[in-house]
Amino acid sequence: MTMTEVDSADRLLFLHDADVVPGPVGALAQLAEQLVVEVPRHPGFGTELDDAARDWDSVADLAQHYLSTMPAGQPTHLAGAGFGGWIALEMAVRAADRFASLILVAPYGVKLFGPTDREFADVLLLDPVEVVELGWADPAACHGLRMPGFPPGQDDEQIERAFLDREALCRYAWKPFMHDPRLRRWLHLVTIPTLVIAGERDRLVSPEHSRQLAGLLPSARYVELPGTGHYPYLESPDAFTAAVTSFLATRQKMGAEQ
Amino acid sequence: MRCYHFTEMPYPYVPPDVEEAHRGLKYFMPNRYYDPVRGYQLYQRYLDEYELADELGYDLMVNEHHQSASTLHVSATLSAASVLARTRRGRVLVLGTPLPHRESPVRVAEEVAYLDAISAGRIICGFVRGVQGETWPSNQNPVHNMDMFVEAHDLIKEAWTNHDVFSWEGRFYHYRYVSIWPRPYQQPHPPIWVSGTTRALVEWTARHGYTLCNLLGTYADTAASFRLYRKAAMEAGLPEPGPDHFAYLSFCHVAPTEEQARQVGRKLMWYLKQGKLRLGAISPPGYSSPAAAVAALRGKLGEVRKYSFERLVDEGVMLVGTPDQVIARIQRLYAETGVGNLIMMNHAGEMTSNEVRDSLCLFAREVIPAVAPIGRHWQDDDTSWRVENDRRPVHTVLASALS
Repeated sequence: MTMTEVDSADRLLFLHDADVVPGPVGALAQLAEQLVVEVPRHPGFGTELDDAARDWDSVADLAQHYLSTMPAGQPTHLAGAGFGGWIALEMAVRAADRFASLILVAPYGVKLFGPTDREFADVLLLDPVEVVELGWADPAACHGLRMPGFPPGQDDEQIERAFLDREALCRYAWKPFMHDPRLRRWLHLVTIPTLVIAGERDRLVSPEHSRQLAGLLPSARYVELPGTGHYPYLESPDAFTAAVTSFLATRQKMGAEQ
Repeated sequence: MRCYHFTEMPYPYVPPDVEEAHRGLKYFMPNRYYDPVRGYQLYQRYLDEYELADELGYDLMVNEHHQSASTLHVSATLSAASVLARTRRGRVLVLGTPLPHRESPVRVAEEVAYLDAISAGRIICGFVRGVQGETWPSNQNPVHNMDMFVEAHDLIKEAWTNHDVFSWEGRFYHYRYVSIWPRPYQQPHPPIWVSGTTRALVEWTARHGYTLCNLLGTYADTAASFRLYRKAAMEAGLPEPGPDHFAYLSFCHVAPTEEQARQVGRKLMWYLKQGKLRLGAISPPGYSSPAAAVAALRGKLGEVRKYSFERLVDEGVMLVGTPDQVIARIQRLYAETGVGNLIMMNHAGEMTSNEVRDSLCLFAREVIPAVAPIGRHWQDDDTSWRVENDRRPVHTVLASALS
């Protein structure tokens, strides 16, 4: 199997995690050489829709927004990381047939364990340095993240922007924290080919959580990348790109055989 | 000037290394460090002090915080019920119920009405947004804090003043049938006080004609905040607000000599110890404007906490000294701010009950009679804060010492 088997006309809609800087960062830039990669900024995270979205208070609102503004016709692979993975799941349970496949990277959104199990690290409370410690296999290699006061040396305007990002995350995900209890009961509807990617060293969302979530999705394959944390597309871009292109190529091959 | 006695009812027995390990005493402190027997003794002691203060002629204030060794008041209305049962005379200021953190505004309306009903109207009802950190124990969304505060207030006021069964389908609160029993004793409802410094809240308080309370601000910041209030009140077409529309919370300890007062009064600094709370705890996203959040990140919130004891005494945030010295400071406080209610934190940390009682008695004997007349004839006083004398632009101030 080679990378050329990915159809370059295909579109990859990649929904970003909460504290990631805008744009096709890390592996997303690599993937953009093979297919059309779009990384829209979520309303509330510094977009022209921020004001219109001020009353949106659930991830379902974001799912509704993306589904209602998506162009029809073009084959689209839906992808999301962390918080963006949660949005992607909300879209997939509503309209799985609109997507060719689903790629989830350590997604939030579904609570799997008991009430006293803290499944998701509290990124809204933790200091940026703690988020980096928990989110990276090698914290010293951290890049591509933006939080209040991180990276150091931000000016007031940049800090305000980072606070506004956090404020948007609060509106969407404060309570229940980083999940929606109404999502799990519909996961069986996600019948499209699905790839769940986790970093072996992710301590924001544990790999075990991602693995068990994959088990609840009807057509999911689970891949765990060694030596990487919560942001494999930033920390291990080559391995991430290889996993995604392999998945997309296999899926197309399977589709051709059907 | 009306004088109120207040203690936060701290639990002063958490070992310093534990406090250090948990970044302070608040919100994230495991309760294995609470001893039920010592806790009982503390509650009895603090209630005894409220009882003494009432006998000495003070009014009384209670508050609430959560999951905190610095405060054992867990519900301002519960504490008010306890204090009412122990006292006969003083007004009980409930400052305050943190509206966004209480699930049911109707229940707040009922509880305050109950307190007012059983005491023949001794209640002053304070409403607060809740300091930033309260977001964590209550788990209420900080983004909606101000909007929830306003809607909860509107619903409570409706519950007190609408005497038919009504429905409330708002943004945050939903009830199909509301008609609370009992109604408040004071009609249409008890006086309402609000504490805070954010511009939107100060202006809202002014437009409603409620009493605005500044907690532990410098006199300059307090004056600035009150000027903002007066301007908003006048713009709303209300009469010029008198001293009864303003309150100030300070620390207080008096003794026969300055040296004695400072020796014991220094213990009040316990309350201002800098916790090492995370930025997220001090400034949860969306609670404040982005500009205020940046100020928090740059360490500019709670600057009073960084002042030395000597500076706090000089600035009058600590009313510590002989009765004559403290009378002079209170006169200065009135001259600079126009405040008519003085709430005194007469206790913090490891101050003994005898130390608190000695100060309460001396203050009641020598200071209260001297300061009681202050502000009674405010319309005859030629002060800098009278609206007609005030030509300076108004500005908002950052939160003072609380977190």
